[in-house]
Amino acid sequence: MKKECIAMLLAGGQGSRLYVLTGDMAKPAVPFGGKFRIIDFPLSNCANSGIDTVGVLTQYRPLELNQYVGNGQPWELDRRHGGVHILPPYQSATGAVWYKGTANAIYQNIGFVDLYDPDYVAILSGDHIYKMDYDRMLRLHKEKGAACTISVMEVPWEEASRFGIMAVDGEDNIVEFAEKPKEPKSNLASMGIYIFSWKKLREYLIADEANENSDNDFGKNIIPTMLNDGEKMVAYRFEGYWKDVGTLDSLWDANMDMLTPDSGLNLLDDSWPIRGRNEVCPPTYVGEKADIGNSAVARGCTLLGEVKNSVLSTGTSVGEGATVTYSVVMPGAVIEDGAQVHYAIVGENCRIGANAVVGAPPEQAEDPEQWGIAVLGPRTCVAAGEKVAPKTMLDKHHGEEAAR
Amino acid sequence: MKGMHGIIFSYEKRTELGTLTDQRIYGSVPYGGDYRVVDFMLSNMVNAGITDVGVIMHGKCQSMLDHLGTGKHWDLSRKYGGLKLLPAFAYQENRESGGQFRGKLEALGCVMDYLHHIRQDYVVLADSDIVTNIPLKDVLESHIASGADMTCVCTSRPGRPADTYFTLDITGRIVEVAYDVNTPAGYQSLNIFIMSRELLLGMVQNAMAQNNYGWRRHILQDKCGTLNMRGYVWDSFAARIDTVQDYYNRSMDLLRPDIRAELFNPQRPVYAKENDAASTYIDPAVECVNSLISDGCDIQGSVRNSIIFRGVKVEKGACVENCILFKDTVVKAGATVRNVIADKNVVFSENTSMMGHEHYPVVVAKNSVI
Repeated sequence: MKKECIAMLLAGGQGSRLYVLTGDMAKPAVPFGGKFRIIDFPLSNCANSGIDTVGVLTQYRPLELNQYVGNGQPWELDRRHGGVHILPPYQSATGAVWYKGTANAIYQNIGFVDLYDPDYVAILSGDHIYKMDYDRMLRLHKEKGAACTISVMEVPWEEASRFGIMAVDGEDNIVEFAEKPKEPKSNLASMGIYIFSWKKLREYLIADEANENSDNDFGKNIIPTMLNDGEKMVAYRFEGYWKDVGTLDSLWDANMDMLTPDSGLNLLDDSWPIRGRNEVCPPTYVGEKADIGNSAVARGCTLLGEVKNSVLSTGTSVGEGATVTYSVVMPGAVIEDGAQVHYAIVGENCRIGANAVVGAPPEQAEDPEQWGIAVLGPRTCVAAGEKVAPKTMLDKHHGEEAAR
Repeated sequence: MKGMHGIIFSYEKRTELGTLTDQRIYGSVPYGGDYRVVDFMLSNMVNAGITDVGVIMHGKCQSMLDHLGTGKHWDLSRKYGGLKLLPAFAYQENRESGGQFRGKLEALGCVMDYLHHIRQDYVVLADSDIVTNIPLKDVLESHIASGADMTCVCTSRPGRPADTYFTLDITGRIVEVAYDVNTPAGYQSLNIFIMSRELLLGMVQNAMAQNNYGWRRHILQDKCGTLNMRGYVWDSFAARIDTVQDYYNRSMDLLRPDIRAELFNPQRPVYAKENDAASTYIDPAVECVNSLISDGCDIQGSVRNSIIFRGVKVEKGACVENCILFKDTVVKAGATVRNVIADKNVVFSENTSMMGHEHYPVVVAKNSVI
């Protein structure tokens, strides 16, 4: 049975720039915004855009991600025909290879895409926070008769040299692509979201695979080659909130954006719901002496202390006399009585002992140059009374501190 | 087939819940910030490994049908077995009742075909209107070990007089069943019964032949001497709610950590209909204390000693105290609400004030604008 458009979600990223935080999981499985995980955003966008067939390409520490995606029911992607499929690298008659690059990952799954005989394929990334209607982008792609449509957004000119920059003509046809240009010709940055006409992409993937010098990467190889060959490439202008949460700072920033109404990230707006797999737990209890302010609180928490400007995920607890400020506390973390947590990311199921101190506000830093967010990897235990300095990273084996 | 089958009765009771049950049967009344009352018994069954559950419905069941759906939120949407909704149409053809619900025994008679298809050796019958977290697996094991014909769950915690009470002998066998006595003695029935499939089928068939319809009168009381019926004493939190005051008090009980620990045991989670609400936002300038708060709320005013359901909005300068606010209630700027139970979608307009009393909470009907 034919599908008009299916999505391929690149979720194999190691997330090495998230350091200890990824622990034993792939980056898209990292919790976000109290109730969600990063992968909920592209999967929900697919569901809301009417794309009911999604291949999720994984290879790095996939267990937690596989378990989370499951049969796709939270995103209504449990379908008789189509639905969500986890696609790890597999062995064929000629041998087995890991996914060498983003384009190679799709190349290795040409057989999967062909099962649905789609006209179009959307290539998505598993580490972006945004709400986007892929159907509008697809309509533009069809109207223009493009071979490839790339989603772009305007970024401040002074930041343009950090992005992949698209130069366009008067009709938004892409005329030039430059990866992190020193002198950008445009401020339209690629968001790493592509729609291809499948027949075209299929040809280019096969040619790219045959080229031994290629890195088999969309941004480095496929897009420039198509542009050189004069294929019709169109920019789709996206307006709205979008953030790549590939680094600890950007992950912390994006969580804090939830608390700022004018950031554009409004998860309480249910016209474009972000769906996720919910933990089963009762509502949150806020105690008699609790002092909660400018914070996002998920379910199943027990909050007895002070919480300011923070994101508290499902099933976290904050003891009496404890203080949490400007921090992201991931699911199941326990902050015991009297502990202080400032400017930190606390990983899943961490335990911070009584009166321990994690991180510090920037104004208290002795050396502002050395200040940064403190990060605890999943299941890290901080002993009672212990101090974790700002910009420190600890994982569950402790001691293995790694300066960023 | 080994194992246990679940049957839940969901029918209209003569309760004094006022407008809370105007448009719904008791089992679908919202409770505890995130649940419908029936979620607790359904979860008890699922947590005991029960895979097949029938819900016998009678009365205003639209809200219940909507809530239960295919049963997927309780993992009961199955290819074989799973959740079966058994609505009221059988009553129309039934001889004596004239379409009215007369008793559970008759209700079982109306779904005789369904009973014949039960695959399991044991059956648990339960009402949809009890809020408790009970390990039904343990009850079944105790039933099998004791060799009883029927095991009846009961509690020694004090309850109201107008109910069924069991007198147990020292071995735990039920020797007397009393109903609506002035000074209740013994153990109050929690209306959870376990027996073998054969015994249930036999009793229902006999009852139909004799036009007996009441479970309490025609089974519990009449067969007390002949059947080996035993009491299983369950003294954890168990709320059966018949009045608005009961509802209010038993809801406020949830602000006590010991009660929450009894009801929300992580080993036996209470499953509710899933939703995708984002985290609740709490503003810096407000006091929000001693309250149970669900997700998707926007709290910009002060909230104290309250149970707040999903999607509630409390605007700046508003004050909510000792309240139970159901899903999507809006308390506009400057409004003051105390000792109020607000049903779904209620709006308290700017600067209005509404107050009940701790011993006389006010109920505001669904979709009202104050």
